[in-house]
Amino acid sequence: MDTWKYHPSPGIGTPVSESLRSFPREPGMLAYAIRSIAALVLRLWMRTYHRLRIEGHENLPARGSFVLVCNHTSHLDTLCLLSSVPLRRIHHCFPAAAADYFFSSLPRSAVSAILINALPFDRKARGARSLALCSALLQKDGNILILFPEGTRTTTGKMGRFRSGIGRLAAGKDLDILPCHLEGGIRAWPKGKLFPSPRRLHLRIGRARNYRHLDQGPASVRAVCADLEEGVAELGGGSS
Amino acid sequence: MSIELAFNSPIFLRYLVIVGGLLACAGVVLGALHLVGRNVASPLRTYRGWLVMIPIVLGTLFLGREATILGVTLLAAIGFKEFARATGLHEDWWMTGIVYLAIFALGAVSLVTDPRLGSPGWYGFFMASPVFVIALILLVPILRNHASGELQKVALTILGFIYFGWMFMHLGFLANTGNAYGYLLFLVFAVEVNDVAAYTFGRIFGRRKLRERISPNKTLAGSVGAIAVSLVLPWLLWFSFPHFSPALLVLTGLIVGIGGQLGDLVISYIKRDIGIKDMGTTIQGHGGILDRVDSMIFVAPIFFHTVRWFGGAG
Repeated sequence: MDTWKYHPSPGIGTPVSESLRSFPREPGMLAYAIRSIAALVLRLWMRTYHRLRIEGHENLPARGSFVLVCNHTSHLDTLCLLSSVPLRRIHHCFPAAAADYFFSSLPRSAVSAILINALPFDRKARGARSLALCSALLQKDGNILILFPEGTRTTTGKMGRFRSGIGRLAAGKDLDILPCHLEGGIRAWPKGKLFPSPRRLHLRIGRARNYRHLDQGPASVRAVCADLEEGVAELGGGSS
Repeated sequence: MSIELAFNSPIFLRYLVIVGGLLACAGVVLGALHLVGRNVASPLRTYRGWLVMIPIVLGTLFLGREATILGVTLLAAIGFKEFARATGLHEDWWMTGIVYLAIFALGAVSLVTDPRLGSPGWYGFFMASPVFVIALILLVPILRNHASGELQKVALTILGFIYFGWMFMHLGFLANTGNAYGYLLFLVFAVEVNDVAAYTFGRIFGRRKLRERISPNKTLAGSVGAIAVSLVLPWLLWFSFPHFSPALLVLTGLIVGIGGQLGDLVISYIKRDIGIKDMGTTIQGHGGILDRVDSMIFVAPIFFHTVRWFGGAG
């Protein structure tokens, strides 16, 4: 008789605090259940409290991996984008979140990892490694990445310059990128305020763009960034 | 069992004093060793683990029958989760989902009143539950129309439910007996003392290995010493079950002394076969839940049925 082969979980020796920060995350039944309930509550809250309107729903690809890039005015951006993807894909939808902020303590890591399903993005030291993580994620089928290329929330309401990460991710690859624009976030929940106020939110999802025809050189990276920046600004009608 | 009964239970109060005293003594000894300049980092971690675990266990028993059964149910679920993650069964959500459901169903069955006898806990259904759960587990490959590798999954799932779920949850069912405080407190206390005794005797006198290909740290001397301590313990703690005959005290000692070590060895060979060191990282200084309750899984059901057959009143 042949001996059985076991496949112990690779995370078996890691403490909870560490496994919450690690990525890719091991899917867990309890986490999925909590996340599904949280997603339903979130959708209800967005529809009623913020009267969220979503335009361009039909632009979301029905299958395959893609990236949503959006202007970043408040934490509501992530929550709105999470509410816009189909519920059955919620566990394959990963908002890239600053590791130094969203994974800085155990409670924060728990919320980020379990409720939001955030991808810990190291925006300070190891940007290249975090990008490789994103890249690996998108090579698998059916994953959605939410990215804020400005890298931080705006305090003035004016959209910042897009950082090069999204360009390096997209240039020369067969990858659909959807520019999105959220209006009303800065008024509803400006940086530094504890709770959001019940302001209206309006999310516009643009048509998918693909940059497989470009090479992966620095000029193409800049071109992709500029093109997406323009796409997002256009959706916002020039303002933000 | 209830908060009010716990306050008025001489058994509960006596154990409170005994455990509190032992913890204080251990703290003093560790402190003294530290002052003499001995390295106590590792025992201190274990001791800190105890300082967290003991209040949780005593607090749960203090809260009463419902809390105790719920606590054992949660421990069984976490224990099974550790087993599933260790074997790789956790990737099969159908199999693990059925076991989680069955564990919580067993918790509910332990809580409700027996519909025919009117006593707390539906004994008949609890004991018959493996029939239905195993039937359900065997059904999964048929439902998904898939054969390759299913035998291993079915076997692991059945073991997981029977051992870590059903057998372990006999401990919770003890909360339904008339002498719940005596049985539960004695069992938890004696099983842990048995563990500590095996370790201590092994460290002092241990030369010959007990089962060197399963657990290289266990020694014959440790094992014999632990059985000796476990045989004495029921006499010292006779107040826990005053209705026990001397013969039953000896039997109880043997069940704890031998069964406890067997439970330990079972988890050891499971871990060794898989090729891992600890089942998890839940308790600091102790490994996973299964590394801590391993002896209890073996002892609880055997003690439970022994008490039912020979225990007489209570």
